[in-house]
Amino acid sequence: MNSQIKKGVLDLCVLALLEKGDSYGYDLAGNLARKVEVADGTVYPILRKLASEGVVSTYLQESQNGPPRKYYHLTDAGRNKLNAERDEWIKFCGEVNEILSKGNGGKADE
Amino acid sequence: MNKTEYLKKLTDELGHMPYGDVKDIIQSIEEHFEEGISEGRSEEEIAESLGDPKELAMEFKDGAKFKQIIKKRKMSDNFKGPDGRGRIFVIVFNAFVGIEMWLLFLAAIIAAFMFLAGDCAIIGLIVAGLVAGTLMEYIIPFIFLVLTLICVAVFLIVLLILGIKYYAKGLKSYIRWNKNVWNYGLGED
Repeated sequence: MNSQIKKGVLDLCVLALLEKGDSYGYDLAGNLARKVEVADGTVYPILRKLASEGVVSTYLQESQNGPPRKYYHLTDAGRNKLNAERDEWIKFCGEVNEILSKGNGGKADE
Repeated sequence: MNKTEYLKKLTDELGHMPYGDVKDIIQSIEEHFEEGISEGRSEEEIAESLGDPKELAMEFKDGAKFKQIIKKRKMSDNFKGPDGRGRIFVIVFNAFVGIEMWLLFLAAIIAAFMFLAGDCAIIGLIVAGLVAGTLMEYIIPFIFLVLTLICVAVFLIVLLILGIKYYAKGLKSYIRWNKNVWNYGLGED
């Protein structure tokens, strides 16, 4: 799939993954790459950007095996952004699907 | 590609990012490797699924650019005409601290250059003397002296290269900072 199209909406996907609860990089990378066709690394620049915007915050937590993990948490600002943009995206997708679907043939409504 | 090679490549590709940012990024990718290894995956496998380090570095750099744009926009949003206090600060700071500081550094670099030149001249004289045979009586001490002086010269050359590099870098960001204060005043950050 065209990477330009993907790029814009991946931020939103990461926010949505964090809505279910705090998580760490490796886990998020796996969850994202399992569902969307992207490299595992892609999630890290996105997390950095989201953190600098203040829509996610980070903290360190001990793990049973190995060094402490950096956890990411969705802030209130992030939750607002997610809710607003999710609705926008779903609406937009509906509109695009309508135009693209073969049955409709791209004809305008009558 | 194993973990070490991957991290090295990523660091190289990140290039001119601030040191703290690079450290942070490398730490998170290193953590990713550790998690994968503890799951029993091989370093090569993890590196492969992380994607091309060059591309990943590019994505990190794009993100940083974005951060700067946001900051600039915030600054120009708050912009209410040139800030008189900011301009006075730039003038006063440069007059009493800024310019003197940079001149002092420059003087240190020039002094190091002169020291290096003197050092090389003495090496030349001693070597010439040894070759001509006039210093034959004290050949062992003079050879030690030359070796010591060569070490000093190498040290000075390294020092000068690093010094000039960081001088140029520092001066550039100092000028950028001055421009920012001049145009936008003293911000909160």
